[in-house]
Amino acid sequence: MPLRFHWSMSSAGEELKGAKARAAVSGIPNLDAHVRFCKVAEECGIESLLTAFGFHRADPIVLAAALGMLTTRIKFMVAVRSGVCSPTLFVQQVNSVAALTGGRICLNVVAGHTPEEQKYYGDFLAHDERYERTDEFLTVCNAFWKGSGEVNFAGKYYTIEKGKLNTPFVAPDRSAPEIFLGGNSPPGEKLAVKHADCMWRLPEPAAKMRDRVRPLVESGIEVGILVSLIVRETHDEAIAATEQLIARFDGAPRRTHEEFAKKSDSVAFTSTYKLANADDWPAPYLWTGAVPYMGAPSVAIVGSPTEVADALFEYRDAGVTQFLFMGWPDLEEMERLSRLVVPLVREREEAETRNAEVAAS
Amino acid sequence: MNELKFHWRLTQGGERPGASRGHQASLGETGLADLPQRIRFCKRAEELGIDSLLTDFGWSKPDPMFLACAIGLQTETIKFIVAYRSGLICPTSFVQQLNTLSTLIDGRFSINVIAGDTPEEQHYYGDWLPHDERYARTEEFLAVCRALWRREGPVNFEGKYYKVEGGKINTPFTAPDRDFPELFIAGNSKQAHDLAISQGTIWMQIPDTPAKMQERGADVLAAGKELGVRCSIIGGRTRGEALETAYALVSEKRDGFDDGAKEREFMRKSDSVNVRSTYAMAGESEWLTPWLWTGAVRTHGAPCIAIVGSPRDIADGIEEYVDAGVTQFILAGWPKLESMEFFGEEVLPLIRQPKAIAAAL
Repeated sequence: MPLRFHWSMSSAGEELKGAKARAAVSGIPNLDAHVRFCKVAEECGIESLLTAFGFHRADPIVLAAALGMLTTRIKFMVAVRSGVCSPTLFVQQVNSVAALTGGRICLNVVAGHTPEEQKYYGDFLAHDERYERTDEFLTVCNAFWKGSGEVNFAGKYYTIEKGKLNTPFVAPDRSAPEIFLGGNSPPGEKLAVKHADCMWRLPEPAAKMRDRVRPLVESGIEVGILVSLIVRETHDEAIAATEQLIARFDGAPRRTHEEFAKKSDSVAFTSTYKLANADDWPAPYLWTGAVPYMGAPSVAIVGSPTEVADALFEYRDAGVTQFLFMGWPDLEEMERLSRLVVPLVREREEAETRNAEVAAS
Repeated sequence: MNELKFHWRLTQGGERPGASRGHQASLGETGLADLPQRIRFCKRAEELGIDSLLTDFGWSKPDPMFLACAIGLQTETIKFIVAYRSGLICPTSFVQQLNTLSTLIDGRFSINVIAGDTPEEQHYYGDWLPHDERYARTEEFLAVCRALWRREGPVNFEGKYYKVEGGKINTPFTAPDRDFPELFIAGNSKQAHDLAISQGTIWMQIPDTPAKMQERGADVLAAGKELGVRCSIIGGRTRGEALETAYALVSEKRDGFDDGAKEREFMRKSDSVNVRSTYAMAGESEWLTPWLWTGAVRTHGAPCIAIVGSPRDIADGIEEYVDAGVTQFILAGWPKLESMEFFGEEVLPLIRQPKAIAAAL
């Protein structure tokens, strides 16, 4: 199966958004910049764009609906937090966006980052209970998408009786949205296996990930990584780019992310902060130097086109088949991925397929 | 005095001219986006001087917020009255979604907050509160929403149904002339009346006689809020022609569908005071005033109480409500497009005509 590439749209229109304190970011989406971002992504063959969720951002599903109306091919990976709306209403919203955009919506489920932000939304549940509720939420959602007939569910957090909706999920190739789920903790893994199509992890060196990825893949889901990308024509240029990036920060943004890390009860996020403090290069292709400034998702795959392609195949050999990238700036990095790396990847995949056919005959 | 505004109901997916509410909801097409048809309808509404189109909320329809988003991006001036149920989404998320929508379509919408029609449908969404408590919850819901819209710092709220701590969102409500959307509170009950005064901007009712509406609405106007009416229009060149149309509407059975039986079933299930009182009123008298006809209520539902007559009759009927303090009207007719054209071309010019000129003619 070919590797699949997605991109985060979190910084559309604002290159170093990750380096700002979250409360200082404007929540007014720059629609023109977002549409440009989408069109470049379409040209680069990116499959879907992540629209993230947070108090400091525009609402991701409304934004995705609007962008879907103004584009033709790109899909939107809409971040969703359970606990902020009824699962029935959520399914109705998702199905409505599908109806408007030809099914160009998939979901990225997050159980919530910081208890502080959850309280803005009236959510006072603790970490483990949030997972329990997300489990119920997705059970109800999937009953609408995959079940036949009325939905009945009696749980601790939701009770639905004879639930039905008249707007189905319609896409050329699916009758339910593809579900991605982020997390590194054991309850997150359980949830992903039960409800999701693919689990997002933050990257560690590929060899280290293998043991935890394999059981997930064997349970029938895919595993992907949320990772930044710095690819340049040569190895030295790529290394120079990491240095230039660091040179652009002064001391302030480092504190921003130290504060966030302290507040976060997400296992995925806190473990990456530990990784970042240990060593800037946990693998020859994996750089954590930007984490203190730009947060956990800025762990980056760095290198020349061949080095990056090799790294992607190392991850694939460890069971990782999807990639959700970020870059600085996004569009230039996306363009380099498409022009320099993807052809190498596809060539190698085709060669493998040919070899497999030869071996089989 | 507030400007007079005339709104119309947006067409349904696969709109069947003359179909009753029960019949339309039973059709699969009602759940579809059917955008080209609706956009044509909206553009016609723009030409006719209609202010907003009511986009309903219900299990059988696409989510109205997303319809407003999609249509709003492809029209210029038309606004939407987005109906939404409190209790299905947390207020912070609701405001975030609406504010995001406002940035995308210049704030061209208001909100019609409804507490829910039938307990049965509320159960589809996991909502089990009885009628009176749904109003109490809506009161809290809107109190949190309005606090977020005021943007006076973090929102702290501790009620029976919602608790929010430090609540904030970065995306403001964005419109040329307002910093929060108009809030229509619909319902004939005491709770709806009180809610309109405490949290709404306008109290919408299914019409009684102008005298009774004036009496009931006096304290709403005194509180600086508006009064609105939601009803239907059945017009003809002459009163006789209009009456023929009216009677034909209730005598036809469409595709063997028994509208009366469906509406009786809905009434048995409904706990809406608004709907029940209008249904009861329709049993007492077919003509509440010389032009206000309840004959369609028992087959087509409470909002189908209709002003019937020639363009002059209808204009006069509306003027009587205006004299009673009503400033906004949500209207509909059969078929929706033709009746809207009749209203826009034949009736609206009579209403907009300065009184002095009307007297001289």
